[in-house]
Amino acid sequence: MRTVPYGPNSWLITFAERVDDVAFERGRAIAQFLETDPPEGLREFISGYTTVLLIFGDPTVKHQEWDIAGAVAQLEQAVRGKTPVAAVKEITTIYDGPDLARVAEHNSLSTDEVIRIHAETIYKVYMLGFAPGFPYLGDLDSRLHTPRLEQPRTQVPAGSVAIGGEHTGIYSIPNPGGWNLIGRTETELFDLNRGDGEEAFFLRPGDRVKFVPT
Amino acid sequence: MEARAKPVLEVASPGMGMTVQDLGRIGWRRFGVPMSGAMDDHSVRIANQLVGNPPDTPVLEMLLQGQRVRVLEDSWISVTGADASSTIADWHAVKVHAGSEIVFPVNRLGVWIYLALAGGIASSRWFGSASVCPRAQVGETLASGVRLFRAAKSSVQLPGAVAGRVAAWEEQRNFQKPPVLRVWAGPQRDWFTQDELNQFFETPWTVSSQSDRTGYRLEGDSLNVPKRDLISEPVRIGSIQMPPNGQPIVTMRDGPTVGGYPKIGMIDPRDLSWLVQCRPGQEVRFAIKD
Repeated sequence: MRTVPYGPNSWLITFAERVDDVAFERGRAIAQFLETDPPEGLREFISGYTTVLLIFGDPTVKHQEWDIAGAVAQLEQAVRGKTPVAAVKEITTIYDGPDLARVAEHNSLSTDEVIRIHAETIYKVYMLGFAPGFPYLGDLDSRLHTPRLEQPRTQVPAGSVAIGGEHTGIYSIPNPGGWNLIGRTETELFDLNRGDGEEAFFLRPGDRVKFVPT
Repeated sequence: MEARAKPVLEVASPGMGMTVQDLGRIGWRRFGVPMSGAMDDHSVRIANQLVGNPPDTPVLEMLLQGQRVRVLEDSWISVTGADASSTIADWHAVKVHAGSEIVFPVNRLGVWIYLALAGGIASSRWFGSASVCPRAQVGETLASGVRLFRAAKSSVQLPGAVAGRVAAWEEQRNFQKPPVLRVWAGPQRDWFTQDELNQFFETPWTVSSQSDRTGYRLEGDSLNVPKRDLISEPVRIGSIQMPPNGQPIVTMRDGPTVGGYPKIGMIDPRDLSWLVQCRPGQEVRFAIKD
């Protein structure tokens, strides 16, 4: 693992070089460890595809000596252990997006083939970001890679299932966006009515996801 | 809850923008929820201190000018941050009386104005914080007609503790003259050559009009940004991101929690409160934090 300082009281740790199954499993093991047995003084951690950011203490107080070497040693230990296989969460999806034909055309496929390929993969939630509950999913079948729109939409509705370049994702809240919209789901990825704790999020980093066409 | 019974303030006009903010939420960025919180945390700490509130007490954050706040109940308040020609003496604890109006007609200096109410402003909380972030669908901006309640009985016994009524002179900031901002190393600093680093630290940068609670854009002589792919990774507030056009974007409190631009550095959290108060066109300079 590589550790670089990132501002006061904080370090960015790189635990994988590529976005793949190894990175996913290591990221899960690290998040689980940090949730259950956080190093002393840890204030917050943020997960990336192949990185995790550890923030200690209060950023406005004077720099303190945190045992970052000890924390990294614990993370090294954590990734060697076994974590239970992530549950697969199903997302019921209506594949009728305005850009479905564009994705099909770009890849010389029929729209039915696009749907079949998109729905047969089990995706990994590498991280959440961009917006509350927005999942960065991998890995999208290369037959569906499609460039982003030249003119981003000013508003994409929540629940839109989309493809942007080599990525696929689900808009968790209405947002401007340039991804190709291929479908929609009624599953609320971010819903404060469920509570303002973890229950507000349908997906967590480390989950797996399957789209179920309807 | 007698203290909650009557509204204390009413928004007569939100002007260019008004939200409730505290010092932000901790621990939810990995779910994609921004930290949010007051842009100028220094001014908020002082505002709360003046009226006897804990530093993290929710306050009103107001953008530039145009706000009017009606006083419904006699109260101790304080106003800090940007200067919008208010009739209220800023950086002071001030008693305001029912029937009067607190107005912020014309911005003279700074960007963000803060109004603290003794006892705190009662507000909803999301993930442990009252900070509103409409972009992330966490709470809403304040609109005309909204009535605000006191969260707790005021603890200030003023006048009496006269010493507590005025912020220390050195805490009252003159936003005309921001100091050189200290910059910590960022994760991709070694992507930049020494020449590029020198250019970044030796030249002034101008705050762009395309700046808001998600990020401040800076304009100046474009830096050469290495054409290398970065796998999206966590981004801290105050990070100086370098998009391909070589014009920096400083991540602010409502900004994305992850991103793929290389980061040349991170502004010291103690200095970020100076940058946020710079209006478009103002110049800032950076220095390496040793």
